[in-house]
Amino acid sequence: MEGLDFAGTFDDIVDSGLGWLGDNAGALFELVRTVLEGFYGAVLWTLSLPPFYVIAIAFALLGWRVVGLRFGALAGVALVVCAAMGLWPETMSTLALVISATILALIFAIPAGVLTGFAPKVDRSLEPVLDLVQTLPPYIYLLPGIALLGYGPATALAATFVVAVPPAFRLTSLGIRMTPNEFIELGQSTGMTNWQMFSKIRLPFAVPSIMAGINQSLMMAFGMVVIAGIVGSGGLGETIYKAVRTLDIAKSIDGAIAIVILTIVLDRLTQGAARIGYGGGK
Amino acid sequence: MTTVNSSEVLIDCQSVWKVFGDNAPAAIKAISERGLTKKEVLQEYNCVVGVSDANLQVRRGEIFCIMGLSGSGKSTLIRLLNRLIMPSLGKVLVKGRDIGSLKAADLRQMRARHIGMVFQSVALLPHRTVLENAAFGLEVQGIPLAERNRTAEMALAKVGLSDWLKRYPGELSGGMQQRVGLARAIASDPEIILMDEPFSALDPLIRRQLQDEFRQLTKDLGKSAVFITHDLDEAIRIGDRIAIMKDGLIIQVGTAEEIILKPADPYVAQFVAGISRLHLVKAHSVMTSVAEFQQACPGVDIRALLRTNPEADIDELITLTMMSDRDAVAVVDDDTIVGIVTPRGLLRSVSDGHTAELAHA
Repeated sequence: MEGLDFAGTFDDIVDSGLGWLGDNAGALFELVRTVLEGFYGAVLWTLSLPPFYVIAIAFALLGWRVVGLRFGALAGVALVVCAAMGLWPETMSTLALVISATILALIFAIPAGVLTGFAPKVDRSLEPVLDLVQTLPPYIYLLPGIALLGYGPATALAATFVVAVPPAFRLTSLGIRMTPNEFIELGQSTGMTNWQMFSKIRLPFAVPSIMAGINQSLMMAFGMVVIAGIVGSGGLGETIYKAVRTLDIAKSIDGAIAIVILTIVLDRLTQGAARIGYGGGK
Repeated sequence: MTTVNSSEVLIDCQSVWKVFGDNAPAAIKAISERGLTKKEVLQEYNCVVGVSDANLQVRRGEIFCIMGLSGSGKSTLIRLLNRLIMPSLGKVLVKGRDIGSLKAADLRQMRARHIGMVFQSVALLPHRTVLENAAFGLEVQGIPLAERNRTAEMALAKVGLSDWLKRYPGELSGGMQQRVGLARAIASDPEIILMDEPFSALDPLIRRQLQDEFRQLTKDLGKSAVFITHDLDEAIRIGDRIAIMKDGLIIQVGTAEEIILKPADPYVAQFVAGISRLHLVKAHSVMTSVAEFQQACPGVDIRALLRTNPEADIDELITLTMMSDRDAVAVVDDDTIVGIVTPRGLLRSVSDGHTAELAHA
């Protein structure tokens, strides 16, 4: 019984805490909301500007350069399929959501990862927090978002941001810490300053790990963006959510196909970019 | 062998200790106050003594080999010389300056300008071309691109890699990669090059070739080098002087001849046993004194003997002895006869170790 009471008290605290934040920091969250939606809007506007075939061709060319001819052609065709299913605006809106959330996450995660890479103690104390973020069911992040930022893309963005941060954070920190010892010695024995050691040795060797982190963050973002359909994120997530509620199985499958296409294209593109980043000219 | 042409000491290790472990400060205190042995330090303080009481001098123009098996502390010792590892006790003077007390900026200068280093793992940056790798030390020093590329190209030419400038390290064989490592070290024109087992991972033929090239190049450029190896043959081939290490201690320092002919203890003797002495026989080490010779052969006029220099090797001595009808060759240094090489002396020098071995068998 006591445990139950405690849980009840805890819930009350959380509720009143959220309420207090909503009442007293309303202006702040209004600002956050404006910034998030503004950023998302700008990315979406850019992606919606050209007709679908231009975007498809652009992805095909990028795929060709980064991965290979066959992948480029497939990526182009796959995007045309999205348009043929009548889901082009939703696809672009999902893409915009994923891209803007991932960019925001990386802006935070990479510098933070670099810093903790140099401070193993900080890294150890952040580890449980990251574990918590990664093990909680992703729905959880939507609720406080709705309370503070309201229904719409801002909440979707914020929740996606939260799940996209840990992989890039962790792998950046790991990459900075895992510089092979012989290269540290090389740097020291050539008389490097700390900044040179970072920019010429540690960072280049961390690039593969950072790229893997970016890739993982992107994948997490895709997962979250679909779930965020519940809170009115717009895009494919919402399409699927609505189709599920109306038991429109065909439509939900269309949406799922579009999501899969988008995910695979971006996954392969970032993996290809990671290889190029690592192999130098080769 | 080329002689070291100066007595100027470039690196001077004075009673240097390195102790690893959490209790290192306490262990060091105990060592300096109570003179603990390595074993006692491990038992009482749970600390490992990497290098104990190392004293050595590296002179200008000299190639100084440090030979020891793995765990002997040789890699720790070489890292003490440019302060990649800080000594626990004692001093390392490089060009007369105590590098332990250098400020960060001065230490960087010292490492950038005066001490180059070549690693066993080569440590070439995989995402940079051969030229960029060779120019790396200069880049760190902030030398402009055109100038550092020119210097690096010259360094690469010296190691025979002019045709590979635009390649990536992954495209090169192990031997070529190590040449790039060497070019990177000499491009900064340091006075001292630290070589940390640079050729250990190479196959024997390439290794021998690189050993000879390295020795030639170092002598041509007038550099000094400290060369770490676990291979006594390599040390003998390359080094002007050799230090033998065991369990963190330097047991013997000397020329190859001194070490092979007069090993300081059974451990060194065991090492030396497998080494052929023939190429170590030099006129000055096998000659008898003039007085002794004249006592044995009173009638011989030593001024009429064929002459040779103190560094003459066994082939030369045999040839001269065969040419001579007097069974003796005069060893001349600075126009004075310093000794006489007789066939008897030659034979003794060749047989010495072998008879000892036979006696034991």
